Amino acid sequence: MIDMLTVLAISILAGFLGALTGLGGGSIMTPILVEFGVPVKYAIAASMVTIIATSSGSAASYVKQRITNVKAAFYLEMFTITGAIVGATITAFIQPRLLYFFFAAFLLTSFYGLSGHLKEDFPKAVKQDRFSKWLELHGSYYDQAARKQVKYKMTNAHLGGLGMLVAGLAAGMLGIGAGAFKVSVHELILKMPSKVSSTTSNFIIGITALAGASVYFASGLLFVGLAAPMAVGTTVGAVVGGRLLNRFPNRLVRYLFLIIVFVLVVQMLYRGITLQ
Amino acid sequence: MRKTLSEEQLESVISYILIIGVIGSVAIETLGILTYYYSNGNLNIVFQPEYALKGADFFSYARTIFLESLQLRWEPFQILGLGMVLLMITPYMRVAASVIYFGLVKNLKYLFITLFVLVILTTSLLVH
Repeated sequence: MIDMLTVLAISILAGFLGALTGLGGGSIMTPILVEFGVPVKYAIAASMVTIIATSSGSAASYVKQRITNVKAAFYLEMFTITGAIVGATITAFIQPRLLYFFFAAFLLTSFYGLSGHLKEDFPKAVKQDRFSKWLELHGSYYDQAARKQVKYKMTNAHLGGLGMLVAGLAAGMLGIGAGAFKVSVHELILKMPSKVSSTTSNFIIGITALAGASVYFASGLLFVGLAAPMAVGTTVGAVVGGRLLNRFPNRLVRYLFLIIVFVLVVQMLYRGITLQ
Repeated sequence: MRKTLSEEQLESVISYILIIGVIGSVAIETLGILTYYYSNGNLNIVFQPEYALKGADFFSYARTIFLESLQLRWEPFQILGLGMVLLMITPYMRVAASVIYFGLVKNLKYLFITLFVLVILTTSLLVH
């Protein structure tokens, strides 16, 4: 049986890679733990709590730098938490076998997340609809790379909410942050600038994870012996990864991550198919 | 109470809540793991139902674990549980802080939105 030291080592690596790729370590954590014999539902539940730590840790500094759009976050959280509670409830009751397939399908979407998002995007001349205007969904932040104050407006708030409901559902079901998915909704539907999008997504992930974790707590699936070393490990890994961010070639890290994800997809599918 | 509260102040408060919660819980969990090793001689994880976190609901679990921790008995699962409670309460506190802020600045729209989030979370944490 797996021990806390092994979990700690895996989590440090997952947190480190998560911070370097910006995809979060949650999605690779669960499949790796499953390989070590941890029941899939326990792994998902512990991952969910762990995400609160990594998300809150990095959100703290982004919010202070005033890049995160907190109003957009509050509005979108209404949808993600609802989705997460429903998703986690589904996981508590369905056959574990189905979770392997859902997980493999979700991991495949990270390929999309890794291939795109390399260029910086500042949507221009966004025509704001009435609902988004009523929600005060606009803002500005100082962009250090571009050395200018970026002003922006968001639109399509109703569709964005719907997208977040789906993101919350996937997050709650699989014990992940679903950050790449959230960022896509922010940029493609709501027309947020890239930096605002990723930091706001990070901010929302903490609350979404709590909503999912509350269900896992009530279902008796939350083991502190597993969750504690995961929370410590991913946080330490993420802090180190964040500090070394600029020292590693972006390409190398992404390829490494892609290879890991590919192996995990194959393994999750194999388990799903061969499970009795 | 100052007359004009800015969104910047809310962001600053949120930022402090998050950082204190994360550092605090990670520190407590580390202490819990060390205590676990000290009292068991190994770091094996046991997946028996009696080792899962449980209580009548999250808030009563939190209260119990907090009161028990005050007795400082260095029981590993108490310390680990306390760290978990602190971690889970962290995002909850930042929502609560936002509700108070939007109430004080009388932004009814966002008071309602943040209150909705708080009510849903509270309900979900109360479910057994």
